Amino acid sequence: MSVVAEQTAWYVYGVVESSLASRLEARVVEEGELAAVVDSVSLTVFGEEALEEHLNDRAWLETHARAHQEVLQEISLAGPVVPFRFGTIYHEADDVRGMLRARSSELAAALARVRGRVEIGVKAWAGQAPVQPAAAPSTGRAYLEQRLGAQERARAATAQLAEAARDSHLRLLSRAVEGVANRPQPRELTGRDEAMILNGAYLVADVDPIRHEIEQLATDYGTQGISFELTGPWPPYNFVDEGGDQ
Amino acid sequence: MTHPDLRTSGAFSQRSSQPAQLADVLERVLDKGIVIAGDIQINLLDIELLTIRLRLLVASADKAREMGIDWWQGDPFLSGGRDGNGALEQRLKRLEAAAGIEGDGDE
Repeated sequence: MSVVAEQTAWYVYGVVESSLASRLEARVVEEGELAAVVDSVSLTVFGEEALEEHLNDRAWLETHARAHQEVLQEISLAGPVVPFRFGTIYHEADDVRGMLRARSSELAAALARVRGRVEIGVKAWAGQAPVQPAAAPSTGRAYLEQRLGAQERARAATAQLAEAARDSHLRLLSRAVEGVANRPQPRELTGRDEAMILNGAYLVADVDPIRHEIEQLATDYGTQGISFELTGPWPPYNFVDEGGDQ
Repeated sequence: MTHPDLRTSGAFSQRSSQPAQLADVLERVLDKGIVIAGDIQINLLDIELLTIRLRLLVASADKAREMGIDWWQGDPFLSGGRDGNGALEQRLKRLEAAAGIEGDGDE
C-alpha cells in the first residue's frame, strides 16, 4: 500500500449503562455493564501536538466544545450519563475497555448519583448601582468626607450583594439534591454590564420546584436590582467528579 | 475542510434549542465532567478553564504560556488592543477592588 491509512483514536464523550447503549444511535465501546459513547477521531486533529495547536484556535475550540456538549445533551435525554471532560482520548478500543474495567465501581456510583436527575444552572446578576451625583466639594475636608462616604457605601453594597448571593444559593439548594456555587464569570467573559454574583449548578430530579424558587427569588430581590437566569437542563457535568470542587 | 467534526462524525442529530452561552459550555466541558486520564493528555485540563481569559491574563500568564495556551494574545479586547496596553489589567484590578474580590493567590 502506498497510501498510509489515516491514524485514528477513540474520543470518549461519556459513559452510560450498557442497557442504555443499545438504545442510542451512537458508537459505543462496551465492557460489562458499562458502555463508553465514543467517536473515531483523526490523530492528525486530536493527536497530542495537533491538539495543543487547535486548543489555541478559538473557533476550533468553540466548535468542538459545543459538539461535545451536544452529544452529551442528546445522551442525557435518553438516560443517565457520566460526562467526561473534553478531550479524553484513547488509542485503541481495548484501552477504552481497560478504562471501563478499571473505573467500573466509580463510574457505576457516578451513574447512580445522577440517575433520573438533571443539572440546572442558575446565575444571579446585579445591575450597576446608580452613581449619586454629588455636589462638587468646596473644601479638602469635604472632598475627603465625600470619598470616605462613597467607599463606605460601596462596601455596604458589596456586602449586601454577597449576602443576597449566599441566601439565593441556600434557597436553591433547598430545592435540589445537590448544588455547587462556582466562581462567577467575570464581565470580560459574560460581556454584560451587570456583575454575575452567583454561578450555581444544581442537581435536581424535577425542574419545577427550582424554577419556582427562581421566580420567588426574582420577586424578593428584584428591588435590589438583582435578576436571575436559569440555564439547562444540562448533562450533570458538575456532579460526577469527586475530585472536583467541594 | 478535511478534518472530521465530532458533531458530524457521530450519529447524533443536532437538537435545535437556543444555543447555550459559550462561556457556560466551556465552563462545563473544559472544567467539569469526570476527569479520567486518556492516552493523550491535554494540559488544558489542569486549570480552571472558564476563567482562562482573565486569570491567565492577569495572574498566570507565564504558566499559561508554558502550557501553550495563549489565545487571548490574539484577542484584541483582552490583549489590550482596544483599551491600550495594560489598561485592561488596571481596569480589572479596579473592578476586583470595587467588588471586594481578591485575585487568587493559589498558583
